[in-house]
Amino acid sequence: MNSIDTKTIRMGGLAPTGVVLGGLVGLGGIAASIALGADESGWTNFWKSYIFAFMVITGISLGGLFFVMLQHITRAGWSVVVRRLSEGFASNLRWLWIAFVPVIILVWSGEGAVLYPWADPVVVQNDPVLLKKAGYLDPTFWSIRAICFLFIWAALAQFFVGQSIRQDSDGDVSRTRRMQAAAPVGILLYGISQTFAGIDWVMTLEPTWFSTMFGVYWFAVSLTGFFSCLILLACFLQSAGRLKGAISKDHYQDMGKLLFAFGVVFWAYIGYSQFMLIWYANIPIETGWFLPRQMGPWKWVSLLLILGHFALPFVLLVSRWPKRWKNALAAIALWMVLMMIVDVYWLVMPTMSAKAVHDATNLMELVDAVDAGTLSVGWNLTVTNFTALVGMLGLLVAGTCAGLWRCSLVPAADPRLDESLAFENL
Amino acid sequence: MTTLPVDKTTVEHTSGRSPLVLNHTSFGTVTSEICRVNEAKKPPFAWYATMAISSCLALMLGLLIGYLIITGVGVWGNNNPVMWGFPIVNFVFWVGIGHAGTLISAILFLFRQKWRTSINRFAEAMTIFAVICAGTFPGIHIGRVWLAYWLFPIPNQMSMWPQFRSPLLWDVFAVGTYFTVSLVFWYIGMVPDLATLRDRATNKIKAVSYGIFALGWRGSMRHWHRYERAYLLLAALATPLVLSVHSVVSFDFAVAQLPGWHTTIFPPYFVAGAIFSGFAMVLTLAIPARELWGLKNFITLRHMENMAKIILLTGTMVGYAYSMEFFMAWYSGEVYEQFAFINRAFGQYAWAYWIMVSCNVVTPQIFWFKWCRRNIWVLFSASLLVNIGMWFERFVIAVTSLANDFLPSSWGWFEPTWVDILTFLGSFGLFMTLFLLFIRYLPILAIAEIKGVMPEANPHAGHDHDHDHEEVKS
Repeated sequence: MNSIDTKTIRMGGLAPTGVVLGGLVGLGGIAASIALGADESGWTNFWKSYIFAFMVITGISLGGLFFVMLQHITRAGWSVVVRRLSEGFASNLRWLWIAFVPVIILVWSGEGAVLYPWADPVVVQNDPVLLKKAGYLDPTFWSIRAICFLFIWAALAQFFVGQSIRQDSDGDVSRTRRMQAAAPVGILLYGISQTFAGIDWVMTLEPTWFSTMFGVYWFAVSLTGFFSCLILLACFLQSAGRLKGAISKDHYQDMGKLLFAFGVVFWAYIGYSQFMLIWYANIPIETGWFLPRQMGPWKWVSLLLILGHFALPFVLLVSRWPKRWKNALAAIALWMVLMMIVDVYWLVMPTMSAKAVHDATNLMELVDAVDAGTLSVGWNLTVTNFTALVGMLGLLVAGTCAGLWRCSLVPAADPRLDESLAFENL
Repeated sequence: MTTLPVDKTTVEHTSGRSPLVLNHTSFGTVTSEICRVNEAKKPPFAWYATMAISSCLALMLGLLIGYLIITGVGVWGNNNPVMWGFPIVNFVFWVGIGHAGTLISAILFLFRQKWRTSINRFAEAMTIFAVICAGTFPGIHIGRVWLAYWLFPIPNQMSMWPQFRSPLLWDVFAVGTYFTVSLVFWYIGMVPDLATLRDRATNKIKAVSYGIFALGWRGSMRHWHRYERAYLLLAALATPLVLSVHSVVSFDFAVAQLPGWHTTIFPPYFVAGAIFSGFAMVLTLAIPARELWGLKNFITLRHMENMAKIILLTGTMVGYAYSMEFFMAWYSGEVYEQFAFINRAFGQYAWAYWIMVSCNVVTPQIFWFKWCRRNIWVLFSASLLVNIGMWFERFVIAVTSLANDFLPSSWGWFEPTWVDILTFLGSFGLFMTLFLLFIRYLPILAIAEIKGVMPEANPHAGHDHDHDHEEVKS
């Protein structure tokens, strides 16, 4: 059995450094985005960058919450040594709502059209399809739903992280039982809220489009981000001399397996099913969403996702040895975070004027217009995209460090800690 | 041998892992207790009774297929517009049942869920027999059964090829691969146990027949090493197949433009539904089997409880998919989509829809309560209801969408004929006959694997941790 070097189970000086640096980068990034955000087309660029970056860190944190609840529901033994790190990511959900308040205010105040076309009453009045769904895509109702989702996540994170950390000091096993009892209800609430958050915040960016698979796709995106970040955090802490003897090759192998299963294969399965069914049936209202994504620069991004989010990591992770070789796994995880970010960018950014699609007599007309630069597909790689992303990632680092600042890096009093330390991947 | 109160041994406590096998402290008694099923002079009376009924039903299936071939597909209720009636419903129903086996043997194996060892063997057997039943229906639906080999892309001088763009052809590959891999997986897993039966055989015929299939297994270290490697590789190969088969089956519907069929969530929704119905069937079969053959030490209440939890989970996923379809039909703003779902819930087949919802979504919710997960009668009734509900799910999908599509002038009404109903019943006969033969002649539980999850299999078993000479028992 491994034994933990108890002197290395605290973040120590890393935590305040992370909070300060992450916080500075975070606030700096957001400030820079505001400064650079407005362009000739107004604030759309800023808000799109903002929602893109926000969805990246929300996805990663939500994945953490899901993983923590999953470990309780299955009474897993192997994962105890990495559960606190997951709780660190989940703990961000306790403050992430603050970052979404500006978006809620924007939509509630009636200015939301800068981001969501359905928030403009004039647009809705002139579109028979949007008129039918005006009851759902209503700024007030939308905001109330958003508040509910953010509240559910904050409450769940507060409960699971709080109970777990309190167990460190009082060693009360009944907390484990309480979390096991709450996890199924938590997963149920999580399933509903994360689905509709994905639909409300990302899918309705293109308000006429719909896909029953979207919630599941957003779940796959979120898990890709989380498992990659979990591996990166574990590697980083261990290389900084923390968690000695706690996380072994066997644990890395299992985290690698999860990244392979959910981030690579499950993601591809869901993405392929969604695309193939829409492509095959070829119904205009559905294919409209994929049109801009296969034209202009976006077609290269789509190809990058197929190769970089599926084919390459599939080959890299399918064998046993890269998952047990910490540095290799960390490099793959870093690549997968990048791919997750590209994926969210690909979900949020592309647009195509419905009028242009309507007026075109054939597909090649659209392709030519895009290639000639007369028709926009929403390809607008700006500095604001990067500043918003870097800012939000800074906030994620700061928040995760703050979450892990005052507690042990392993759930020290968990009744299954010994089982986790003894775990071998045969 | 000590008998512990059931609650102490079949519930997972935070203090440690509870044993999966009750009342056994040595490997020898495990072997003899399981082999008793095959070695008993006569099976229980219930076996003869069920066998009599099932084999009659299977015979009836054969006769009805003969009648169908001689007369033509017109003996079924299939009509225009419902070109796909019972055959597709039964096909999807049986393929769905066939999912639990591979899920238990492959996915739960990769997730290190050790409790699977007590139920994997007969769940795999069930899978294979269910896929045989499933394969029958498209086979006889093609009309000219003697040309069934045209389903396969076989080079021929007429340059006749199947339509590669048709999901029905993908089905041929998906189900064919699934059947092959499941069969190999089942058989490879059984080799050590067949050798056990061979070694214990009391007469020459048994010894030779088990001996042939045991492939000369001697239980050497090298044999075990290769066996374990092969098992792991087959598990890894079978895992994507669990997802792919029912995903491809869902493509049969979802690639069409028909409202109610074309929706992107179909692949994972069908997979969840398949696992749901498969586990229900495992419960339906396991509950009487453990009573009749006294297997309660191996298939404990904890196994029942775990299966109930999986049924709750997958039933809720199915409920999620139903709700998502309904919501998106409204959200899409498409009149036809909206009509398809309103029509399902309130149209001429509303009764089928509500049977489906109450059996598949409402029934499993009782498993939130521990008492229901541990009561055999509740479990058995719920498993039957889920089986019924899942058949109706396929009926609702296939029939309601076809009967009422875009144009009211092309609407129709589907009614099964007596041949439809009796053929479906006959497929249960075939399934049960095969299953009963399996119980009688093959090792119903994975003897070698069960030993592997007993505490005694741990090299440190019986080791006296605190040196007080209390834990070590001879």
